[in-house]
Amino acid sequence: MGGESRYEIHQNAYIKLVLHALNHRTSAVNAVLLGRSAAAAVEIVDSVPLFHSQIGLLPPLEIALSMIDEYYGEKGLSIVGYFHANERHDDLELAGVAKNIGDHIARYFPQAPVLLLDNKKLESLSKGKERSPVMQLYTKDASCSWKLVGSDGNSQLTFKEPSANIVLLDYISSEKWKDIIDFDDHLDDISK
Amino acid sequence: MVSKTEEEQVNRLENQVENGGGGAWEYLCLVRKLKLRRSDKVLKHGFSILNDPKKRSALGPEGRLEAMLLEAKGLLAEAEKAYSSLLEENQFDQVIHKRRVAIAKAQGNLSGAIEWLNKYLEMYKQAAFCYEELILSQPTIPLYHLAYADVLYTLGGLENLHAAKKYYAATIDLTGGKNIRALFGICLCASAVGQLAKGRNKEDKESSELQSLSAVALEKLYKQQSPSKLSLLTSTLRNFKL
Repeated sequence: MGGESRYEIHQNAYIKLVLHALNHRTSAVNAVLLGRSAAAAVEIVDSVPLFHSQIGLLPPLEIALSMIDEYYGEKGLSIVGYFHANERHDDLELAGVAKNIGDHIARYFPQAPVLLLDNKKLESLSKGKERSPVMQLYTKDASCSWKLVGSDGNSQLTFKEPSANIVLLDYISSEKWKDIIDFDDHLDDISK
Repeated sequence: MVSKTEEEQVNRLENQVENGGGGAWEYLCLVRKLKLRRSDKVLKHGFSILNDPKKRSALGPEGRLEAMLLEAKGLLAEAEKAYSSLLEENQFDQVIHKRRVAIAKAQGNLSGAIEWLNKYLEMYKQAAFCYEELILSQPTIPLYHLAYADVLYTLGGLENLHAAKKYYAATIDLTGGKNIRALFGICLCASAVGQLAKGRNKEDKESSELQSLSAVALEKLYKQQSPSKLSLLTSTLRNFKL
């Protein structure tokens, strides 16, 4: 909490998050971040999109977290953070439910970040100007509340592979988001 | 919370409605807005409004369609405004009423972000209220029971958890045992109740039977439809059994 916290996000994880949000443009979506903590930074290796409807409800969330913990535990990864995208295009406020889930994750992993999708940055992406991740980084400060981290702050979110945004653009144009299945989809049809 | 004038207003309306005067709609809106507990009266008057065919709107099918289009586009705020103005003209339109309730629930999140970062639970109580009304008007739709159960579970507390279990069971009943979320819901409820009521042994037997039945049903479904995830499911269920 506080101090130097660097977060490195892998391309795979990053792209899944954005594509999932694009798949459900009219609703809020969320996802968990999986990874590990390394000396220099927290590595966000993968992500699991969770829900696109009724996000605030506990039961599906508990089941999801439990299953995800099990599955990734075997692979040596743990839940390291949370991603949220608001329903409204220009809403950049961190919703109560996002904070609550973030708090819950931070109880097990204090450096857990909460990432919030920045739609404006996402739009400028298509103009080819964006080099940094299209999301805002929130970390817990000393007073245990979620604070937005500026780009000149101590904490940073960086790409592991610098070409991530370019690959993302490519996927967007080929409408790959249709292939993203989240936990909601799974609960509706477990063959997914 | 509730100001004195509002309290007086509610009491006045309550009396008026009880004695057969009009104003049932305003009464309900006020009750919901102030989140008062008046469940039996609400039930009574809610029913009378929802079931009165005379008062269903004749005018306004175009207006309604327009509002629904707005809602479908995701412009919830505009849709809500449209519905509200439609409702002013046609107070007892059941369809509009339902849509508005659905929006209120969806919008709960929006207004929450603006107004009440600390009043997290109140939104859920409001959602619970809305769902109660929905279930009342259409008790055979399993989706409502399921959503209500989810909200109850999220609110928490022993009583709510027991109620949630019953609604999950109702959902399973209505869907012939195929609803995954409801089956999971039962397992979650059972383990949550177990955690909360460690000392009490009375209901353990019945509830653990229910839980193992759900677990077995879940495993069967996963085996049929998604065998690769079966082992994941089994270990997850083990966590819930404590």
